[in-house]
Amino acid sequence: MPQTIASLPQEIRERYPYTSRFLTVNGRRMHYIDEGDRDAPPVLLLHGNPTWGYLWRDVLPPILSAGFRAVVPDMIGMGLSEKPHDHRALTLDNHTADVVALLQRLDLRKVTVVCHDWGGPTGLGAILTRPDRAAAVAVMSTWAWASPASEFHQRVMPWRYMHAPLIGGYLLGRHGAMPGRGMYLSVVDRDRFRAEASAGFEAVLDEPDKRAATWIWPRYIPIGRDSDVTLPRFDWLEAGVARLELPASVIWGREDDVFPAEPFARRWHELWPHAEGTHYVTGRHFLQEDSGAEIGELVTDFVRRVSRIGKAG
Amino acid sequence: MSSVRRVARPESPMRSVPLLSEHNLGHYPEFRQFFRDEFGLASAPFAAPPVLAAGQGLYELVFVGYSGQPFPAGVEINALVPGLEPLDEDAADAALGSILLWLVDNLGGDWTADGLQTVAKIYRVPVPAKASAAAAPSGPADRLSRLL
Repeated sequence: MPQTIASLPQEIRERYPYTSRFLTVNGRRMHYIDEGDRDAPPVLLLHGNPTWGYLWRDVLPPILSAGFRAVVPDMIGMGLSEKPHDHRALTLDNHTADVVALLQRLDLRKVTVVCHDWGGPTGLGAILTRPDRAAAVAVMSTWAWASPASEFHQRVMPWRYMHAPLIGGYLLGRHGAMPGRGMYLSVVDRDRFRAEASAGFEAVLDEPDKRAATWIWPRYIPIGRDSDVTLPRFDWLEAGVARLELPASVIWGREDDVFPAEPFARRWHELWPHAEGTHYVTGRHFLQEDSGAEIGELVTDFVRRVSRIGKAG
Repeated sequence: MSSVRRVARPESPMRSVPLLSEHNLGHYPEFRQFFRDEFGLASAPFAAPPVLAAGQGLYELVFVGYSGQPFPAGVEINALVPGLEPLDEDAADAALGSILLWLVDNLGGDWTADGLQTVAKIYRVPVPAKASAAAAPSGPADRLSRLL
């Protein structure tokens, strides 16, 4: 019996009051929510590590109130989706193919893809694979290239320890360092996060075997070392993304020190000179925790304008 | 990390309890190289799993290979528990911490016991302090070490 939103503690259900849905992608059970009018312009919100759809809980109300359709999957290995023990299900390419499968299975068209963290490489990889499906893209605290790499990701302490052989499995797997303490360190209002949000991320990663993706996923971040196994994929991503002519919006946390606005937000504008923003909000890497409603308004306004363009065209 | 040392495999029946599984030692190749050198895996890749004594317990290292990848591709750390006795979970976790400290201490370069302890402290993960990691063991592991 898969875990659902309805099976989570009341305080989490109340903050994410949506209906759990499931479909299979590449043979794995993916959890997602699909809210709003099915005929309305769809918005696909993609999370990264170690989060799940719950990350978007304060972003969603403005989008839904404006009459748009919101689809929020939990990536395989995260949230309420299947958490395979086989690490080979958790490669960047398989995660990306999972998003492609989701686009197809739900027959999403003219979708605005909103990307955070790994939602960037996976969502943009999916858009490049199915370019006819996307209408627009919004990015926040994410990337789609090998260089420049994040200084945070290149540092031995703490980041490279966090996914080093055996050590990653101990710190992040056995002891769950990412959804609790790790996120806590990457928000601005830590007291509020601890009181209101942390439990929602820890509840779905409550056993060591469920947390494999949290220490496997970081290994796919290229950091300029021989161990970079995704370099060709990121080179493909960067080249493809640079050719995308979709309406784009860049939203960033002022206090982001995982993907600092300089150079990361700037890099998006170099790739997409037509992109709007950068819209700065209060926030570190998990900027939705500090500015979820404001981000929701920014995304809603963006989708509203994009939809008008689409209708006019 | 003097409390971690290689010991003979016990002759009495022991149960393997999986604790930590790593599928990709090559993520940082120096980790794989350390295990190859330390346990002579180049010449005897399919020998019996080596056993480490840490704290009061015994822990086997089962090396794993995947077709097309240098050996070992991965390693599993299992607690060896006598018969049907339950695992002492806290002791096993502390032993894992000691084994990781032993590992990084031997690796050198970017990897240090101080570094691991600092990261563990940042993320509030229990890793034995150097002093306790060096505490004299007793129990089955100690008895075995005296036999060697």
